[in-house]
Amino acid sequence: MEFLQQILIPFFDWELLILVAAGTLAGIFIGAIPGLSVTMAVALLLSLTYSWDMLPALALMLGVYYGGVYGGSRAAILVNIPGSPASVATSLDGFPMSQKGEAGLALFLTTIFSFVGGLVGVLVLASAAPVVASFAVQFANRDYFLLAMLGLLLVGNLSNGTVAKGLFSAGAGIVIGLIGMDPIGGGSRFTFGSLQLMNGVDFIIALLGLFGMSEILYQMRELKRQGKPVEFKKMIIPPLRFILKFLPLSMRVSILGVLTGALPGAGGEIAALLSYDHAKRSTKNPNRPFGEGAHAGVIAPEAGNSAAIGGAMIPMLTLGIPGDAVTAIFIGALFIHGLQPGPMLMAQSGDLFWVMVGSSILANIFLLIFGLMVVSIFIRIVTVPKQILLPIIAVITVIGSYAMNYSLTDVYWMLGFGLIGFFMKVHNFSVAPLVLGIILGPLIDTSFRRAYMSANGSMPDFLTGFVTNPISLILTIVIAFTIFSQTPIYKKVKQKILPKKQQT
Amino acid sequence: MKKLGLLTGVVVVGILGACESSETSGESNYPSRDINGIIQWGEGGATDNVARSLAIQAEDALDASFVMQNREGATGAIATQYVYDQPADGYSVLFGAENPLIYNVLGISERDYIEDFYPVNIIGQGLAGIVVKDDSEFETLEDLVEYAQENPGDLTLGTSGEGGLPHVVASMLSAELGTEFNQVPYDGDGPLFTAMLGNQIDATVVGVAGAQEYVEAGDIRMLSIVHNEEVDAWDAPALSDIYPEFDKYLPWGPFYGAFVHPDTPDDIKSTLVDAFNEAVDEESFQELLSSLGAEPINISGDEAVEWMKQTQAVSAWLLYDAGATESSPEEFGIPRVEDLD
Repeated sequence: MEFLQQILIPFFDWELLILVAAGTLAGIFIGAIPGLSVTMAVALLLSLTYSWDMLPALALMLGVYYGGVYGGSRAAILVNIPGSPASVATSLDGFPMSQKGEAGLALFLTTIFSFVGGLVGVLVLASAAPVVASFAVQFANRDYFLLAMLGLLLVGNLSNGTVAKGLFSAGAGIVIGLIGMDPIGGGSRFTFGSLQLMNGVDFIIALLGLFGMSEILYQMRELKRQGKPVEFKKMIIPPLRFILKFLPLSMRVSILGVLTGALPGAGGEIAALLSYDHAKRSTKNPNRPFGEGAHAGVIAPEAGNSAAIGGAMIPMLTLGIPGDAVTAIFIGALFIHGLQPGPMLMAQSGDLFWVMVGSSILANIFLLIFGLMVVSIFIRIVTVPKQILLPIIAVITVIGSYAMNYSLTDVYWMLGFGLIGFFMKVHNFSVAPLVLGIILGPLIDTSFRRAYMSANGSMPDFLTGFVTNPISLILTIVIAFTIFSQTPIYKKVKQKILPKKQQT
Repeated sequence: MKKLGLLTGVVVVGILGACESSETSGESNYPSRDINGIIQWGEGGATDNVARSLAIQAEDALDASFVMQNREGATGAIATQYVYDQPADGYSVLFGAENPLIYNVLGISERDYIEDFYPVNIIGQGLAGIVVKDDSEFETLEDLVEYAQENPGDLTLGTSGEGGLPHVVASMLSAELGTEFNQVPYDGDGPLFTAMLGNQIDATVVGVAGAQEYVEAGDIRMLSIVHNEEVDAWDAPALSDIYPEFDKYLPWGPFYGAFVHPDTPDDIKSTLVDAFNEAVDEESFQELLSSLGAEPINISGDEAVEWMKQTQAVSAWLLYDAGATESSPEEFGIPRVEDLD
């Protein structure tokens, strides 16, 4: 029972308690501002807390981590600008909800289910970390390739009906993702001899332009038409039964989120997209079609990306391998404070593990409290006149993209993506598949080539791997089924096998 | 609306302009304001840890603050070019690793530590170990080498890309012992450990400190340290003790350093050299270095240039002989390590 005492340390140590609380609150606001990323904030804290003791430093950083991932969806819902890549999926139904006057409900639901997802993530971390970690390291290059292909199949779900346009966007995204230094051979692609282009295009920059700047341009276009302003319904707390209805879905996507987060090569953004996809496939009767403000469409990605935090900490604490960019900084922090992150960390400083678990639980509790408290502040953003709101967001977007790498080139990229995104919106292209392509393109590229190289460049060896390795086999079957289920043959077969169910 | 847009633009340009503007520096009272520390690699990595920790020590000695920025990308070439483009006033310090020594031959960038920078301090050198998984059939480095000689291309060696540590060590082995590996590049030590634990690769070369953790946990076995003498802290034989023919290449390995523009006034250079020298000697910093598996070096100026020339000659010619470079080291006046005086 020693570990229970250690879990409770942050609950009774007022210093840790206050730091987790302050971190969570700060994280919510940092995450909500487009361009200020959790990674940046945590990196800044690494310098700031250099001379502190280790536990207070980690408590503050953990709070910012949880708060920031959650905060990213605020801007996604209210102004259709995801604060971070992990909240792209949330904007798909979150913004339509807020346009229909349900901003309050969307903020409320995402808060509740971020809390649920975050807690599931911590529980898995606390109870099954070694098991999940040994599963995660078995994920080979071929499996990452299959996972990315599965992600690419989401294009059909993100493009709202016009699949051809969605495919075009995703293809363009993949090509943009290839720009820069080839991660395998070191050669240059599409760089035209420019050092700045060698760095490639950061997908956060693309995100700021395609969602942020383009949305500003698009909404400016409609300023003169000044339709009736968005109705501002006062938030009514939904009955408990309404919330409980989504509990099974949130549990399923939370598990999905933990597992995705635990993979060293995939993080919260892929967890959120897979969760959204799962919700869309498994929700039989959504309150509205997905893409037009379905409740399940905001719940699933938020539960998924919060659960991914606990997942990302699993390989970090058990193996010393970062699960995402933020946990990479945590590893740096452990180093600086004299610990050696690696497989011996649990054995040598087990108390640290349990204090991290305790702080994570605490961060989730504060997230719930602060999240619900600030709903009434955030919701006012919807009522701010566009003439005032849009210029403010424009400035934040520019500063955010400059601050990423202190590079003006990134600002130009962002503005360019803003224009592209604007014309895409005007011509009814969905921008989400483009971002999906930029995120998944490099993963597909490197994992495919590594898998092929690992098979010594032999095509038969490479292909048999897809059916002989259990993880690859399962992923291959899932992909095959996903494609097959969209064909007319599947519907015919299904009707023959399940005639009764179809009728009722 | 148009006016508002214009105003936004003006404000933005104003803010960005303020960031770029630099005051005129008074040479005699250097440092009179914050110093920018530019880090070649991302947050949380080894270079980042060394840079941020050292900057905090140097702040005391200089009585000025460091503002640290990570400008990662293109194996550090973005940050290197950026610092080179800044005024030579000592207010931009580059914190980097070994990579710029081979930018020229790999065709990554024109910048080079020896020609384009003044070494304020070569902080320390990281030691690398050749490792296999604990249940591997190879008990010693000789086993591994023999198998690789007899079955060319059969063993998969995880690398960190062209010009990275495992790639150069593989070139060394191939040049002296005629081994041949199937090389698969990963994104650095973390992914390499993952790939090794997941049975994706047969062998790799990684930083010793990280590897030691897995050795203690019984996950991997360290066959040799890429060094010219045994190091007490690490329980594995030195490469040149097993194969004396590697003696001419060693010591060689990744290092961390701090650099400024070569045209920086001499008095500023010496202020920085003294401050960094003191900072590296600081006990708490020495502890950090040893936890990273790095040997402290703490040299500056001409001594540092000579030291880097050795590393450059080893890496550049090995890569050239292995057919991995774009152009010959000769074009850039890099002599073979045997011809160094």
